[in-house]
Amino acid sequence: MAYYLGIDIGSSTSKGVIAEDGSILARHLLPSGVNYRLAAQKLVDELLTKAGVTREDIACTVATGQGSANVELADQEVADIRCCARGIFSHFPSVRTVIDVQGQSTQVLRLSEVGQVADFAISEKCASGSGRFLDIIANVLQIKLEDIGPLSLESKNPVTFTTGCAVFGESEAVSRVSEGIAKEDIVAGVHQALAEKISALVGKVGLEERCAITGGGGLNIGLIKWIEKKLGVKLLVPPEPQLVTALGAAIMAEETYKQR
Amino acid sequence: MRYLREGVVSIHFAGIDLGSTMTKIVILDEDEQIKASVVYHTGAEHRRLANKVMEEALSKAGLSIDDISFVMATGYGRINVPFADRQITELSCHARGVASFFPSVHLAIDIGGQDAKGLKIRDGKLLDFVMSDKCAAGTGRFLEVISASLGLKVEDLGDISLRSTQKISVSSTCTVFAQQEVIKHLSAGVPLEDVIAGLHDAIAGRTARMVNRLKIEPDVVFTGGVAKNIGVVKAMEENLRCPVLVPEEPLLSGAIGAALLGKEHVLKALARGETIQTGKRRLEEATFFQ
Repeated sequence: MAYYLGIDIGSSTSKGVIAEDGSILARHLLPSGVNYRLAAQKLVDELLTKAGVTREDIACTVATGQGSANVELADQEVADIRCCARGIFSHFPSVRTVIDVQGQSTQVLRLSEVGQVADFAISEKCASGSGRFLDIIANVLQIKLEDIGPLSLESKNPVTFTTGCAVFGESEAVSRVSEGIAKEDIVAGVHQALAEKISALVGKVGLEERCAITGGGGLNIGLIKWIEKKLGVKLLVPPEPQLVTALGAAIMAEETYKQR
Repeated sequence: MRYLREGVVSIHFAGIDLGSTMTKIVILDEDEQIKASVVYHTGAEHRRLANKVMEEALSKAGLSIDDISFVMATGYGRINVPFADRQITELSCHARGVASFFPSVHLAIDIGGQDAKGLKIRDGKLLDFVMSDKCAAGTGRFLEVISASLGLKVEDLGDISLRSTQKISVSSTCTVFAQQEVIKHLSAGVPLEDVIAGLHDAIAGRTARMVNRLKIEPDVVFTGGVAKNIGVVKAMEENLRCPVLVPEEPLLSGAIGAALLGKEHVLKALARGETIQTGKRRLEEATFFQ
């Protein structure tokens, strides 16, 4: 039996899957921390334990993500947009636009009919264009990250943020709290601001009817609704949005192996 | 009109600069000498703070509010100074203040807590400016956020950076990402001073690119809270490739400029034989966000 390993060392979270024929046998996520090499090692060990296999059972490994160079076991490194495209294609072959919202960047991909990346745009220079913005605001308002999305949907009167900067946005959120504005209105405002940035990015590559969201952002029901409102389309959400890129990597590992 | 009133010998001009992070006030006498200056964190209650710094400056100078001939307010909170006679933009005040210390200034750079400005000045007059207030990187906030996350005092950064022998290069343009980058460098064993020097270089490089549009021409003067950081001053000199002058009190240039412009306003009006409208002078305990 041959297994395939996909390792995605992201800026915030490292994700990995062991897959066979596109179905996931073991999955693991952990914070990337400051030492990507260590995170990669721990991730591989955990995955092997969870799947009950040894390194020798892994036929091929593809590493991706910002820290892909730190995966010792990797046979190949592949750009994360390609892995993301491959992963989403395995879930939704008809998807033409993918919005990948990560901890430190957002990327939008346009896919061809065969799931190849036709075009893409990345926002990575500024924290206010990534999931990090939500993280910062959740932290300063003392709300759990997983609660911030649902809470934002309770707002009837979202605050408009005057700044496009996450650091200044944090101060603005604190000021709004001291003025007695409800937390749901503040978090709705942050989601709105992020949705706005994301939709501008989508505008750069063009929006297609079949659009999916992946990455940590795909776990946030609030963000999904705010983006849908902004773009006017329904977003397709894969079952494990954070693992799409790692799964894509594992599928590419299998394809590489079988071509040899 | 106090200034003209018979028997009143006390002639003073106050300038108050209510910035996003710091509030500065100076009282100048007739000869433009500083009688008192006060600096406070701005906080959220602007009007109350304005009254407080004025009271404190008056008591330092041994004066009463009636001894002040004219109060000029500037800075982003300038409309929240209840006792001001007039408001004026901080750009004019900075230009005037800087030119009063260094008459030969051609480029003034001011980096405050929430913005950065470059002013092109000729013969003390403001000709052009560039400004950045959309992003925390490139402002004092950048250093504040990162020093806080490292448990360092922002005022210590300058001295720490002087020990650096091999500064790092900071690739992130965003404050949030730079903070993370710094932690990565430190955990990889890079000495703190090399990391801090890298941050100073990043902010100086950003500023240099911003002011490049104005043509960098000596004398270059650097003011604002960040100019108190010797490390940034040195990095600025490297990035601009010319010496950078820093006034003794870099935080006060806006407030001093405001007071001087107040004086000029009064003198011009007097020369035209006009009376000067001064505002209500009572210092009051104002309510918030009035």
